Order: sequence, then C-alpha cells, then structure tokens
Amino acid sequence: MEMETRDNDVKRSSGQLESSPYINKIVAPGDIVLDLGQLSIPTLRLGGGLRQDQDLVIATKAGRLKFIKPNKVWVEGSQKRYIPSLDDVVIGLVVDRRSESFTVDIGGPVYASLSIFLFEGATRRNIPNLQAGSVLYMRVVKAHRDMTPEVSCVDAMGKASGFGQLKDGFVFQCSTGLARALLSRPTCPVLEALGKGLSFEIAVGVNGRVWVNGDSVSTIILVSNAIMNAEFLSAAQQQLMVQKLLQRVQ
Amino acid sequence: MAVPLQNFIVAALIDDQRVDGRRPFDSRRLNIKFSREDGSAEVQLGQTLVMCAVSGQLVQPFPDRPNEGSLSVFTEFSPMADSTFEPGRQGENAVELGRVIDRGLRESRAVDTESLCVLAGKAVWSLRVDICILDNGGNLIDAASIAALAALLSFRRPECSTGGEDGQEIVIHPPEVREPLPLILHHLPIAVTFAFFGDGDLVVMDPSYKEELVMKGRLTVTMNVHGDICAVQKGGGVGVSSGEIMRCLRIASTKVADVTSSLKKAAEAHETERAFRKVKRHNTVSGIELRTVEVLGTIKADIEMRDAILDRAVKPKVELTDSEDSSSEDSDDSDSEDEVLGLGRAVKQEDAHSVLSVEAIFQGGASNWDEDTKPRAAASSELPLGRNPGKADTKSSAKSLDGKPASLIDAVKKNRKRKKTKKRTSKQS
Repeated sequence: MEMETRDNDVKRSSGQLESSPYINKIVAPGDIVLDLGQLSIPTLRLGGGLRQDQDLVIATKAGRLKFIKPNKVWVEGSQKRYIPSLDDVVIGLVVDRRSESFTVDIGGPVYASLSIFLFEGATRRNIPNLQAGSVLYMRVVKAHRDMTPEVSCVDAMGKASGFGQLKDGFVFQCSTGLARALLSRPTCPVLEALGKGLSFEIAVGVNGRVWVNGDSVSTIILVSNAIMNAEFLSAAQQQLMVQKLLQRVQ
Repeated sequence: MAVPLQNFIVAALIDDQRVDGRRPFDSRRLNIKFSREDGSAEVQLGQTLVMCAVSGQLVQPFPDRPNEGSLSVFTEFSPMADSTFEPGRQGENAVELGRVIDRGLRESRAVDTESLCVLAGKAVWSLRVDICILDNGGNLIDAASIAALAALLSFRRPECSTGGEDGQEIVIHPPEVREPLPLILHHLPIAVTFAFFGDGDLVVMDPSYKEELVMKGRLTVTMNVHGDICAVQKGGGVGVSSGEIMRCLRIASTKVADVTSSLKKAAEAHETERAFRKVKRHNTVSGIELRTVEVLGTIKADIEMRDAILDRAVKPKVELTDSEDSSSEDSDDSDSEDEVLGLGRAVKQEDAHSVLSVEAIFQGGASNWDEDTKPRAAASSELPLGRNPGKADTKSSAKSLDGKPASLIDAVKKNRKRKKTKKRTSKQS
C-alpha cells in the first residue's frame, strides 16, 4: 500500500514537472524556472545550470531546460567552458600528485581533486601510478560552487565500470553541446556512420573532452576530425561527410 | 599537456600525418577580411583570428632622420583568445610577435617612410600598427604578419600640403575634398613559420595550437615574393641543420607566392568595393572653406586626424555668421595655437554659439516688444566672438543650466571663502 502511494506521488510530480511551461524551452541566466512552493514534489534532482534559492529554482546559464522522468532537471547549452555538476562523466588530465590525492584538470574554473582511494581496489599500499599528463575518465562526486570539485574513478558500487586511465589515443576539446550530442541516445549520426566503416574506441566527457583510440593513426585522425566537423551539421550532412571521408581513405 | 596527445602527435608525424588531417607542408585556410574603415583588417588562419588596425598621426620627426616618417608595431593579446594570456601584461610571446613583425616590416623597408614626410624636420606621419589577437589557434606570427600587411594595404592618410607665406603651414585636406592617399609599399614581406619535432628531423609548416604545445623548435622566415629573405627567427631549443633550413626557405618561397597573390586579390576586391561605396555616397558638406592650421616651431599639432577633419566640417557653419572675427583670429598666432590644443571643446562651444546667434536673428514678435531685449540679445550673440569665445559661452550656459541667478552663486562662493579664511585663522591661533 505504501509503495503504491509513493508511485503515485512520483507520477504526479513528474506530471507536474512535465507540464511546467519552461521544460524544453530556452532559458537565460536569472530566469525563475520552477517555484517549488507551488509544486508538491518530494525530491527534485537539479543538474548543471540550475541553482536553488529557497523555493525557487533559477537558471544560471543559457540553454534548453531538459527534464527526464522521474525528477531530473538540468539546462543544456553549448559552451566552451565547463562548470562541474554532480554525476557528470568527465575526462581530465592529472596535473599534480599529492600524498592523499591527485590534482586533476577537468576544464572547469578550478582544478578538481581525486582521492587516491577512489580507484577500484586501491589501498594505502596500492596507490595507482599516475604521472602528470595522464588522461583519466572519471565522474564528478562533489560539485559545489564554493568548493573544489571532487572526482572519482569508481562507480557507486566501488567498481571501475569503465572509469580509469585512458592510455594512448588522442584527446581533443569540443563544446559541451557537441559532447552531450555524442553521448545522447539514439546514437549521434556521425558516430553511427563512423562505426559502420571503422573500428575505434571513444570516450566522451560532458566537459567537452573526447578521447579516441584506434588501430592506426589515420583512423584516429579521421574519426576525431569527423567529430569536430560535425558540430553544426544536420544528421544527413553528417552521414554524407563521413561517407566522403571514408571513400578518401579507402 | 596530455601525455597521450604528445605521443600521438609525434607518432602521427613519423607517419607523415598531422592531427588535423593536413600533410606536413600544408597550411590552413586563409581568409582575409577588410573592414569598412580604412586601415583595418581581420585575418583568419584556420582557428586563429587576428585583427590589425593602422592609424597615423602627424608628429615631429626624429632629429637624425628629419624627412622620414616612422612605423611602430604594438601587440595586444586578449585573454579571450587564450586563457594563458594575462590582461594588461605583455607576455614573452607577445613581445616576440611584435618584434618579428616589426623586423619584417621595418628593416626590409617595406613601407616607404620618406613619402610620409610632410614638412622636413617639422611634421611627418607616424604610423601605428596595432595587432590584436582575437583567437589563438596556433601560428600567430604568420596570421599577424598577413593582417599587418592587409591593414597597411588598406590604410589611407589624408593628403597634406604646405602653404602660407613662408611655406611652413600645413593644410590637411579632408577626405571629402581630396582623396586620401594610400601608403607606398615596396614589397610584401610575409612570415612563414615551421615547427620542429623530435630531434629536429620532423618538420611541419603552419603549426596548430596543439602542435605548438608539443614542438621542440620553431623557425620563422620572413620573405617576399621575389625570394628576398627579410628576416629569420629561430626559437626553441632543438638544433636544425643548414640543409633543413635551406629546405624550409625553398618551401617558404612557394608559400609566400600563394599568400601574396591571395592578399593582393583580397585588397583589389576591397578597393573596388570601396570605389563603389564612394559612388553611392552623397556629399553633404558643400562649400567648405579651408583653414590652415598654423604649425609653430615646436609642433604641438599632435592632432588626431579625425579630430582635425571634424573640426573643419563643423567650422564653416560658424563662419557664416562671424566671418569677420574668425579671419582676425587667423592672423593672430597665439590664438590659433590655443585652438589647436583645445579642439574638441572649441568645436562644441562654437556650435552652441551658432545656435545662439540664429536665435538672435529670428526673434519672435512677442519677445521683441520690449526695447531692452533687442540690444541685449545682440550683445549676447557678440560676446563669444571675442578673443576667447569659449569662456564667455561656458559661463552663460552654466548660468542657464543651474537656473540660479548669478548673485546667488556669488553669495555661495563668498560663503566658502569666509569659511576658508576662518579655518586659516583658527590654525594660526
């Protein structure tokens, strides 16, 4: 019985959020997006670009307000600069190594810190050997605007699940909008088209860093340039571009 | 700098490939844009964006070169272009960039400085080349050198002639009266940069931002289309063999030919566009009466060109009403000097005055019935025409703005004085 009422609550709250006039609309910094006093929502998860001021949810950057059931809301824009927010997957560079943590550049306004224990199977005796300049795939576990962000190389269960060092390959920077597009489902057309013709590995961080690895240098160069060029192309244009590139190589 | 990226760039180069898909001696796409204003150009080289503006000023020449104008290069690295650029402080690369461009332009005598002389020993044109980096995508030197040349190609200076009894007066002709003159450029020295990797055996032309982070050495060759080497700058630690340098020079000479032709094409297109614009332009200023600016022994006529033109454009209006007085002003040396120094202010005040005098002419019937008003109005219109028209006018306008009678202001002043004297007395005691 209790479960049922909770389910109903969730349904009602997500319905309320869906019907909010700002969902899927462009918002600007300072826009009051939601008034929690008028909604009966048990929990609301705010993503990047939103700030809570008592009962009000206010946008802090320009972009489209996105919503995912049951209760996640965030602003999706395209920027060169990345502002860390909780649960983002990011690609960062090790800048410095300290006794208890690594300093990592994740492209934000300040460096993030990565505890040496937040690796799979890491103990005080078994510290991962990372040099300055190593590339890591991580997730943000603490993001507060007045504090250093914290990142982790394990998931909530303490397993690596894909996080960790990215060896070899090529890293490039793109806008946060393109990174989001590459991560979105269904698969981004440019990746779809490239995947049909070539075999390569890719890791995308929402901070706009993309890592590509493949069998040969030319594959990596082709894939990375195709992705960088895809930002302002339509789906059909992206496919056409990839086809042309593949023809040139073969 | 990410270690994998570093390794990858070098590994790709060993394979004769570059990370942006170019071959080692390919350069990125060049786009030259001229602005509507003369003497300003924007150059895009791939991701790199550089703006350049040329401006001119009449100054006294250097004593050792009395009949040569001068050219100086200034750089500004905007923090918007690259987060490593500090605002308000010239970094190492900003200084180097400025000097490489300066050397290319000045020491190869690309700009004919003797034609910039107006009056030997007295007044020459001093050109200022301002380079502003808007986006750093690598290879700033090449982009800046092309931008500087493009801006110099499109720069126009107003025509000047000497006049007066002793031939020592300089007349600056506004662009409406005489077409401004282009600079005389003997040749176009274009910089081509090469980057070296590994032990100096891997060479690429036009390095990108990422390649610049990894490269071990850099060689900038400044050359013109005739194959004359104007300047060579080598940076970074890695040593380069003479054979390698000769190879770079050969490659640079073909590259320079390409850039020169596209630069000339762009300049020509800009020139025809400019000519078209002039055809459409309606000349609203008619019957300008030219007045000479007296240049005294020490030239204080550090006049911004535009101010001078503005001054001239406004003046005729005034002179319609008080031609007598202005002519008397001309004959008076000290007065015209005053005028040169306080150009902006003088223009505004005279403008206001002309409005005043118009009022005096078109007096309505209602205010005319009193006999007293007529002579008073006339007096007010004549007042500012004296030796120093500015002062009289500002006073009257101040009164009308405050809306307070003069006696009140005086009273306030007196009060202040009293307070001051009181303070003094208290100190003394």
